[in-house]
Amino acid sequence: MTAETIIQSLASGLLMGLLYGLIAVGLALIFGLMDVVNFAHGEFLMIAMYASFFLFAFFAIDPLLAAPLVAAALFVFGAVVYLLIVRFAVRAKANAGMVQIFSTFGLAIVMRGVAQFFFTPDYRSVTHSWLGGKTISIGGIFLPQPQLIGAAVAMAAFGGLYFFINRTDFGRALEATREDAGAVALVGIDKNRVFALGWGLGAALVGLAGAIMSIFFYIYPDVGASFALIAYVTVALGGFGSVFGAFAGGIIVGLVEATTALILPPSLKSVGIYAVYLLVVFVRPRGLFGSM
Amino acid sequence: MSTPLLETRGVWQRFGGLVANSDVSISVGRGEIVGLIGPNGAGKSTLFNLIAGVLPPTQGTIWFDGEDVTALPAAERCVRGVARTFQVVKSFETMSVIDNVIVGALMRNTVMRVARQKAHEVLEFCGLAARANVLASDLVPSEKRRLEVARALATEPKLLLLDECLTGLTPLEAQTGVELVRKVRDTGVTILMVEHVMEIVMPLVDRAIVLDLGKVLVEGKPADVVRDPKVITAYLGDRHAVGA
Amino acid sequence: MDTDFAKRRRRDLIVAFCLAAIAAVVPLFVKDSYVQNIMVLTLMWAALSQSWNILSGYCGQISLGHALYFGIGAYTTTLLFTKFGVLPWFGMLGGGLISAVIAMGLGYPCFRLRGHYFAIATIVIAEIGLLLFHNWDWAGAALGIEIPVRGDSWLKFQFARSKLPYFYFALALACVAWFVTWWLEDSKWGYWWRAVKDNPDAAESLGVVVFNSKMGAAAVSAFLVAVGGSFYAQFVSYIDPESIMGFHISLLMALPAVLGGIGTLWGPMLGAVILIPVTELTRSYAGGSGRGVDLIVYGGLIIAISLARPQGLVSLFTPRRKEATR
Repeated sequence: MTAETIIQSLASGLLMGLLYGLIAVGLALIFGLMDVVNFAHGEFLMIAMYASFFLFAFFAIDPLLAAPLVAAALFVFGAVVYLLIVRFAVRAKANAGMVQIFSTFGLAIVMRGVAQFFFTPDYRSVTHSWLGGKTISIGGIFLPQPQLIGAAVAMAAFGGLYFFINRTDFGRALEATREDAGAVALVGIDKNRVFALGWGLGAALVGLAGAIMSIFFYIYPDVGASFALIAYVTVALGGFGSVFGAFAGGIIVGLVEATTALILPPSLKSVGIYAVYLLVVFVRPRGLFGSM
Repeated sequence: MSTPLLETRGVWQRFGGLVANSDVSISVGRGEIVGLIGPNGAGKSTLFNLIAGVLPPTQGTIWFDGEDVTALPAAERCVRGVARTFQVVKSFETMSVIDNVIVGALMRNTVMRVARQKAHEVLEFCGLAARANVLASDLVPSEKRRLEVARALATEPKLLLLDECLTGLTPLEAQTGVELVRKVRDTGVTILMVEHVMEIVMPLVDRAIVLDLGKVLVEGKPADVVRDPKVITAYLGDRHAVGA
Repeated sequence: MDTDFAKRRRRDLIVAFCLAAIAAVVPLFVKDSYVQNIMVLTLMWAALSQSWNILSGYCGQISLGHALYFGIGAYTTTLLFTKFGVLPWFGMLGGGLISAVIAMGLGYPCFRLRGHYFAIATIVIAEIGLLLFHNWDWAGAALGIEIPVRGDSWLKFQFARSKLPYFYFALALACVAWFVTWWLEDSKWGYWWRAVKDNPDAAESLGVVVFNSKMGAAAVSAFLVAVGGSFYAQFVSYIDPESIMGFHISLLMALPAVLGGIGTLWGPMLGAVILIPVTELTRSYAGGSGRGVDLIVYGGLIIAISLARPQGLVSLFTPRRKEATR
């Protein structure tokens, strides 16, 4: 194993990690807002990938151009999911935690079923795109262009999110609602509206990730499941509810995955992530950046 | 005189840079009702939690019934005979009132039938017998306070720690609460009660300990304590001092 | 009121006995092997869900990784039998004990975690188990292990000609899981668990050692689930990591309890009796086309019931005391 291979895989690990962060941040945002874990998060990613695929297949829109459209569509979808399901789930008087988990699980299963029904279980892929399969060489290190752009989009999204939460009225309403939903009602902020927009925003972010990922991953009804677990691990590692935690968690997960792949056979590459995650939460039960 | 039931010796508690308790040494004799009072932020709740075993003190030792219990967790202290209530009531909401008390009664009685019997007796004693089969979440606030006391009594404690169990009740409810505390003491249980509002506790306690800024300010008979200039100064500016 | 309580306990026991007796004679009249198969699965999932319910329902520690114990049970029995010729009955016991020990070993660090952190840790741990078995060549790796048929006998727990013995074993398992729950419900442990679920701080102040309570629940729960896993391996006579330890197993274990009523005595049974036949029927009638209709029906059912009846379907049968006293 040369130094070059190590740098090579760490670099691609970092890029992938930023993308993992982008997948996970919507989950962290929603949790931070209302203490709900969306167990259909992977399926949100799945439909985003399909949306991007169909825009490509029917209208020949490149996934890069499609990304904003997909994000917008997912925004609407996220808000609708909140209004139709989650709004009622958080109102449950008995077993509230359980109801949240299983109503979103139920949604995940329905979404997979719908995807199978309409799109068949076949594997799809965006066969040719501007970036697909292209690499760029920086000082002898070859980096795949889709991942590179994906990482750039992720960083931009995190930057935008930071600005959004700290500098805009809605961002401040979001912050205020997560601190004390009862009190914001008194100053005339509609809690449901904020939550719906929060869900929309969270879904839009995963939509962005899905569009980028459609360039270099196969698309099939169960594709969300494998990324969902990584997203949960990323968020739990960083600390539930912490947007920065999701960013940092994503990078850690990407790097650990790349490192594990150097040492263990490829089929065991996730074991490294899981092990590091467990070690972290055993030492810090609320993740690296979660409030203790 | 025999050893006190409870004693703290030079107890300190620091949270980061904040000193919540500094060099607190107090003692509670057998059969006494002692009031632990003081203005907001005096360190009452911290001391209370140290005695209950929620967290260990940064420095100093806590002695119960002649034994050093400093290192023992809350559950172990309960076995030794320390029971408590919570300022913010912590009922087992999905369980019935009787089941709440059974959890406490199981501390000393492992046979279910005996524990159930014991729980009924305690509910009767606390005036909650009629509500035995109601879900704890359906009780009104004053009943929840009484349930806290009942649950704690079911563990057959030597020392009962009451954390602001009379605060926030209507005068009538507070009066029934006071009577319940007296009744408990008459069964031979020693009581240490934290209260913020002096007027409630003063007629009830045998002795009062005033904490201020984490230290013991004054200790003595209630009548003397309320007249102490140091206490009046400490409470001055505090709206609850008016009644004291 | 004590007598009321004793009466209710006795009534539960009598109802359970009657139901078990009725269940026992059903397969004598219903000979269709497809239906018998569904009945076996229903009873098995009822038993599994009942066991899951001990840790997650009564003690409130929501595990979404119980597939691990199911898998350990299945693999222990199968490996002992195929590699060393140890009879499945011993494998069943061994798998149960191993699972209980592992559950406590894992509980040691995991029970510090709360809420979602705990649930996600359990998913991840089960996933690690799955990956390890996937890569463990001696245990058949991804291909799995086929249990060789060595004839029809209770000793080897193999029945080629009839499903009836499997049915009766599954029924016995469901009865045992139910009875264990019934028995524990009115014991020190049962009260401790519910107290821990509702408020661990208050429980601790009443002398409940919260950590040990969780460990106890985890051990009992894992033991019973592993026995179920052993049974399943014998029943299908072929195991591979994905079908035995996949996440869907954990989910299937939780769902009947959630739908029927989590933390209740009858919830898992009721949930399984409704959910498993529905799952199997939609799978064979709608799923055959490979179009995902079964998933839509199944998922929709989960959403509908969890939103409409958060206390579970069992609440339809027992008017809540809450409403009665208001």
